[in-house]
Amino acid sequence: MSQLLKVEGLRVEHGSKAIVDGVDIKLQRGESLGLAGESGCGKTTTALALMKMLPEGLSQSGGITLSPAGVDEPIRINKRTEAGMQVVRWRHISLVFQGAMNSLDPVQRIDSQISEVIRLHEEQVSGREVRSRVDELLTTVGLTPVLGGRYPHQLSGGQRQRVMIALALACRPSLVIADEPTTALDVVMQAQVLQLLERLRDELGLALILISHDLGVLAETCDRIAVMYAGRIVETGAVDSVFADPQHPYTKRLLASLPVIGGERGLAPPIPGGPPDPGDPPAGCAFHPRCPYSQERCLEDPPLREVVPGHSAACHFSPWRSWPAVGDPTIGVRS
Amino acid sequence: MSANLMSVKDISVRFKSRDGVARALDGVSLDWKRGEVLGVVGESGCGKSTLARAMMGLQSLEGGQVSIDGAKTTGRSARGELRRRVQMIFQDPYQTLNPRHRVKEIVTEPLVVQGVARSEHEGRVRQALNDVGLEPDRYLDRYPHQMSGGQRQRVAIAAALVLEPEGLICDEPVSMLDASVRAQILAVLLELQRRRDLALIFITHDLSLAWSLCDRIAVMYLGRVVESGPAVDVIERPKHPYTRALVTAVPVPAPGGGGRRELLKGELPDATQVPPGCRFHPRCPKRFEPCDRTDPALVAVGTASHEAACLLFSDAAHAERKVPADA
Repeated sequence: MSQLLKVEGLRVEHGSKAIVDGVDIKLQRGESLGLAGESGCGKTTTALALMKMLPEGLSQSGGITLSPAGVDEPIRINKRTEAGMQVVRWRHISLVFQGAMNSLDPVQRIDSQISEVIRLHEEQVSGREVRSRVDELLTTVGLTPVLGGRYPHQLSGGQRQRVMIALALACRPSLVIADEPTTALDVVMQAQVLQLLERLRDELGLALILISHDLGVLAETCDRIAVMYAGRIVETGAVDSVFADPQHPYTKRLLASLPVIGGERGLAPPIPGGPPDPGDPPAGCAFHPRCPYSQERCLEDPPLREVVPGHSAACHFSPWRSWPAVGDPTIGVRS
Repeated sequence: MSANLMSVKDISVRFKSRDGVARALDGVSLDWKRGEVLGVVGESGCGKSTLARAMMGLQSLEGGQVSIDGAKTTGRSARGELRRRVQMIFQDPYQTLNPRHRVKEIVTEPLVVQGVARSEHEGRVRQALNDVGLEPDRYLDRYPHQMSGGQRQRVAIAAALVLEPEGLICDEPVSMLDASVRAQILAVLLELQRRRDLALIFITHDLSLAWSLCDRIAVMYLGRVVESGPAVDVIERPKHPYTRALVTAVPVPAPGGGGRRELLKGELPDATQVPPGCRFHPRCPKRFEPCDRTDPALVAVGTASHEAACLLFSDAAHAERKVPADA
């Protein structure tokens, strides 16, 4: 595998506040990375910055280099102008938004929305080819081409989300960023959409950045995971390594709070407090006020460093060999 | 005093629309015992929220009966009594809390409605806020928009519990909250449950959550309960093919996730077009000959209180039925 995406020191500022504060990401072709974290941690902002689609008032800095197969010169996204980005978006990187199924044009039929995207990026294609590609895309995402003739309101939520994925794939990009693509869906439909994303990755050699607050969804779908807290990556590594042996107290406590069917029932002691305000994190380790293991040293900024092979954490005390028990572990354990 | 706080007997709710008549609830029976934590799970559109609304008397019934402590809940005074004893909280506290009222007014209002003596108000409001982990002096004068989602849900719980009800129906109480805040709200609810022997209903699409916290679970599909029983039995040893499919689809936050699996095809049909026979048969991987003709009733499967509505178990059912229920 060769490298597809390299992000170095990505920073997003709102005035003098850093909402994303020094994020590094490396992604191989065909690889999938999960971006986890609670609201306000900067995961959606990171995604928008990768596409240079930040809303007004936010400014970004840091290197973003994309090297799609078949493109000689790496694309230096951070150096591109808005006009220069328009040929990159959808063609090389596309984005499936959060709640995207409501962002379809309500008065345009599905097939014309998809063909519009293809025509915009590939002026040479014939009408016949566009039509056959629309049908092929709909089939790829598990919809019958007949549905192309419908309007968004005639489709279910799951079908609309599949259309959004078809749109994202329309120009055969090498990277798809999906921001909470299944959050509004029921568990069966969610599993279907995740399976679809996985299949497309295999078949099309697509790389995927999947953003979700749901660690279960990421465990199912991704090769690697990065956990964000207060605008920074606090832990990253192979999915299995992070889930089996978390190395940051935040990840550890989050995982402990999630029930796994067949495991232990009841509720683990919750993490106290709430996520910090975006751009205004506590000094030092941003998690220290909520951390049951914090000590004086935590007022110093912990760097993200490799603590287990291929697995990094930003905690002064990593690697953790064992985790001291926290609070009363028996809340809500029922017979 | 009966063992059941509330009982639902064969209730039906229909919604008429341009597209026809939606059978939102189609013959649902359910017992909710005192102090019990009951989970109601299913996909959107299965009728679980309608069931909650019907139990609270917020939904007129086409047929059937809802009772509290063995007494009917119809009529004005019975309804007042019901609201004093059973309360409800919703998914989005931002939509249910009056944005122009302070926390103080929001939590006091139920006391006013129920005619509790004025002299008791302040003490009870402070107590309710303390119970949900909100320091009264800091929060009494705040408006909903000045609080986080988790804090708003705490206010909603305080307002629901200020009357010291015996039961609380929670409709997706944490599905809009972040993981860490979600655990805090659940801890508040379970602590109250334990301390006051409060009966809880969790209406949720989150099977892991229901498995982890509930005593009993009822699984709904298209306006019907298709399986119910002890939480561990229903989720770890599901009998109905639909429950099996739901459990299989749950994403697992553990190394390797849930692994490869066979997923249910298609989607929940519209409630205006309930399939004949077993309503699940068009999507069922196990359907056989009579499933498109025979509408299966709930029958005992395995343990006495574990029931499923599936023809796969109808033979076993004949033997089981001789065992007195609830043994």
